[in-house]
Amino acid sequence: MSTLVFIEFNKNTISESSSQAATIANELHNDVYGLTSNNDESYISSLGSKGFDKIFVIDDLNNYSAIEEVINSNGIKTILSPSSNTFKELSSKISTKLNFPIASNVLKIDKNGKISCSIFTGKAESHMINDNDSCIYLLNKNIVESQDFEKKADIVKVDSKVSENSSFEILEQKFIEEDISLNDADVVISAGRGLKGPENWQMIEDLAKKLNAATACSKPVSDAGWRPHHEHVGQTGLKISPKIYFAIGISGAIQHLAGVNSSKTIIVINNDPEAPFFKAADYGIVGDAFEVVPKIINSLG
Amino acid sequence: MKILVCVSCVPDTTSKVSFTEDNKFNKENIQFIIGPYEDYALARAVELKEKNNEIDISLLNIGLSENDPLLRKGLAIGADRAYRINSEPIDSNFVAHNIASFINKNNFDLILMGKESIDYNSGLVHYLSGSILNIQTFNPVTYLDLENDKSVIIKRETDSGIEKIKAKLPLILGCQEPIAEWKIPNMRGIMNARSKELSVIEPVGVKASLKLDKYTLPPEKEEIKYIDKDNLELLIDELKLKNL
Repeated sequence: MSTLVFIEFNKNTISESSSQAATIANELHNDVYGLTSNNDESYISSLGSKGFDKIFVIDDLNNYSAIEEVINSNGIKTILSPSSNTFKELSSKISTKLNFPIASNVLKIDKNGKISCSIFTGKAESHMINDNDSCIYLLNKNIVESQDFEKKADIVKVDSKVSENSSFEILEQKFIEEDISLNDADVVISAGRGLKGPENWQMIEDLAKKLNAATACSKPVSDAGWRPHHEHVGQTGLKISPKIYFAIGISGAIQHLAGVNSSKTIIVINNDPEAPFFKAADYGIVGDAFEVVPKIINSLG
Repeated sequence: MKILVCVSCVPDTTSKVSFTEDNKFNKENIQFIIGPYEDYALARAVELKEKNNEIDISLLNIGLSENDPLLRKGLAIGADRAYRINSEPIDSNFVAHNIASFINKNNFDLILMGKESIDYNSGLVHYLSGSILNIQTFNPVTYLDLENDKSVIIKRETDSGIEKIKAKLPLILGCQEPIAEWKIPNMRGIMNARSKELSVIEPVGVKASLKLDKYTLPPEKEEIKYIDKDNLELLIDELKLKNL
């Protein structure tokens, strides 16, 4: 049996989510295949070190029939995917056309078909049993540490003609210019209304730079237009699970916690010792953000 | 133009989640709402209807009769009619097949859903329905305007940014803020909603693909460690320990 991992890229390298998926794939089956539309052959062939035996390179991930052919002709029954929209859409197609069960927000998989998933935005977990011989798992981030392997990845070019997309036309594309994407960041520095105004975000960005972190914000901050909408984390925004989450001047309403509660370590800085966020935190600093944050930046040297 | 808005009825965002001994969500003392993302979808549909009275808005929910007051609320906000498929929404696959079967019998030009339902969060129903019906699906959509009877202009978030797209109908869209402002029903809407049609439909049977074993609550957090604001070394050491 073999497992297929959808390879997502962050800039020009494999995303941490896909590396983690490959690590899990190696625990499930010996043969681990990858699928990507990135055709940088020298880089792709180095991905044996992430645990791939074979990587299928396809021109266009929208070419569903070519992908179905890869799955069918290679006896693939298990698919592991990061939870990005591109791969969620592809996974949904495979699930309905090939009748593969599909599980979202997966936290844990075992060889006997037991699956644990995050539900209610991290407020609960569901434990499922899969007694089919196939499954697609959309994985949450940071559910394992990615490992290095001593494998060699063969590259297989998939014959594919450009798919026809006559039903829509892309008029404009805007790329978000972030050094580190919020979804893929190990460390996230998030700030709320406690910062009093958009002009005070410089220290947040400085701290983010020091820690190689992405920046985020609470809903009131993005609603007020202090920060762009795509930075909003919480129940109705982005759900993230970085290794470290800094919450600075965020009170910690239940809707905000829901989006960040699966972070590995939560550090809360707030001048109100009664702020509800402290109940969800691993480390708490009671103090004025305008005093504490510059001190942290200084100490980091 | 016929618009279908599919809505989930979910626990209010402030709800404390718990489960009964027979592995069901504990509905006691829980306030249910129309899912926040579907609320955006409905609000946008109503805004479009305000500009063009030719638009007819149907509301669809999969759930039990306890959801009827929420569907009445949707009618009060401005939908013209409501349909309820009479079953618990078992899983994404079940919901998508039931939505697809409904759409097959009643043609719609535009099908709006939320980005995800905030209870089980799978975020798949729009994609699955689109795949079953072979209807182009976009998600998450943050802007929607009608160009004419046959096409729309939308903006959707991609994994790397935002795309502005002109697309032909029919379409399925998973909606997200800031596509519209949430609407609150007014007195006239509430009065009108009483005479609008709410039809109940029997579900199509779809076998659950994964079996539920049990629900659990996540493990309790360990006790918080407080760090003195004048002595941040402990924090810095912790960060260094994590190779930062």
